[in-house]
Amino acid sequence: MIHDMIAIIDEYWLLLLIGQYPNGPLGGLANTLILSALSIVIAFPFAILLAFARLSSYRALRWPVTVLVYVTRGVPLLMLVLWSYFLVPLLTGADVPSFLTMLATLVVYQGAFLSEIIRAGIVALGQGQMDAARALGHSWFGAMRYVILPQALYNMIPSMLSTFVATIKDTTLGYVINVPDLTFAASQVNNQLLTQPFQVFLILALTYYVICWSLTALTNVVERRITRRRAGLGPRRRGEIALPLTPKVTEQL
Amino acid sequence: MTAPVSNIGNDQTIRLADVRKSYGDYDVLKGIDATVARGEVVVICGPSGSGKSTLIRTVNRLEEINSGSIFFEGQDVHAPMSGRDLNRLRSRIGFVFQSFNLFPHLSAVDNVAMSPIRVKGVPAAEAREKALKLLDRVGLREKAESYPAQLSGGQQQRVAIARALAMEPPVMLFDEPTSALDPEMVGEVLSVMKSLAAEGMTMMCVTHEMGFARDVADRIWFIDGGQIIETATPEDFFKNPKHPRAQRFLADLRH
Repeated sequence: MIHDMIAIIDEYWLLLLIGQYPNGPLGGLANTLILSALSIVIAFPFAILLAFARLSSYRALRWPVTVLVYVTRGVPLLMLVLWSYFLVPLLTGADVPSFLTMLATLVVYQGAFLSEIIRAGIVALGQGQMDAARALGHSWFGAMRYVILPQALYNMIPSMLSTFVATIKDTTLGYVINVPDLTFAASQVNNQLLTQPFQVFLILALTYYVICWSLTALTNVVERRITRRRAGLGPRRRGEIALPLTPKVTEQL
Repeated sequence: MTAPVSNIGNDQTIRLADVRKSYGDYDVLKGIDATVARGEVVVICGPSGSGKSTLIRTVNRLEEINSGSIFFEGQDVHAPMSGRDLNRLRSRIGFVFQSFNLFPHLSAVDNVAMSPIRVKGVPAAEAREKALKLLDRVGLREKAESYPAQLSGGQQQRVAIARALAMEPPVMLFDEPTSALDPEMVGEVLSVMKSLAAEGMTMMCVTHEMGFARDVADRIWFIDGGQIIETATPEDFFKNPKHPRAQRFLADLRH
């Protein structure tokens, strides 16, 4: 079994790593990582803007975004992917690459979830912080940037991490619209081998696990560093015994 | 609409003219008329729910009003104005909250230095140096690198005062600055406020600290039911309050 998996990796590692590239589009693990990273990097600021709109006192901003968030959260991602895939070319006549379709859909979908987490983080801080910042002469955006978001985003790291991990896992749905990612490559390998689906998809599962686990580990390091700094302890020196300041919620994910 | 008449020259820093505010059917402020002169220390007292905190929060427009006007150095605070003008106006009115509202993600010195840097564009090194001086002034120079969570309530409130002073406001407003403190920490905050008053700062303080009112205030406004029902010097107010409601208030305090 282990030997089978090593043999598969030995044989197909290049396909799993970069897909058909350079003879075809970039695919495999490389494409999965690029798609995941871009989705998260674009969805995050997008979600902050959505959260601002949801908190806005202007109805013209608040209502459309509220509808967008509710609809997006209430519809399975697969439906959204298929709609974008079939409807966008139909409506615009443009031939959108499946990678872009998947990226845009993931940004909107995860952005909606993320925006609710960020909004909750902002609301949970209470009015006092905003009042204090405004009383000192900060603009609304200035208060958000220097006072509210640094706290709200930090407090919401565990929930945001869950969404980031979900985003990575959701890239696999690109498979149904032929985004050449890692899942797509694994499925190609499986089609060639035919007899070892369990081994192939175990490799796939393990790879996704490692990616998601790495992100969790990275987030823990960042969170711990911020916590230590805010507790006024400075960076930990080597050899010093780690003292748990607060239980890390993310470590249980 | 006529332009607001300038008050500069007649020594009124703050003037409230028939200020009214209601939440739905409930009238919180029922026509407040009062002035605060430059360098004057006004203590606002009265029973809870009388509108003291609402009143002081209208002065820098943290609360909107329904009618009337509030002038700060001749400028109508509640007139329609751009966000930028309102921010500039607010930066010239120091405000200290009951619940401190320090920024917990910043150290004490950064709490003090942040707004001069971000709002006024003061260079960081200069703002920091001045922040350290202000912390020294409130007796917390050695706590400069501490975070709010590591400070006692009294220390936090002193940092909050330093933070407000960092914007160099000509006026300081205090909204029950000692009400959230343990009794043994009230003194340290009041002594900072006393020294500010001694330096000639114009101050409006909502407080229940009658000792502070007696020693430091130039005038006391007694508020009840959304109206100023008595204005007096501390001496007159404590010795022979005229309004029955004020007499009852003072009698209750002695028990």
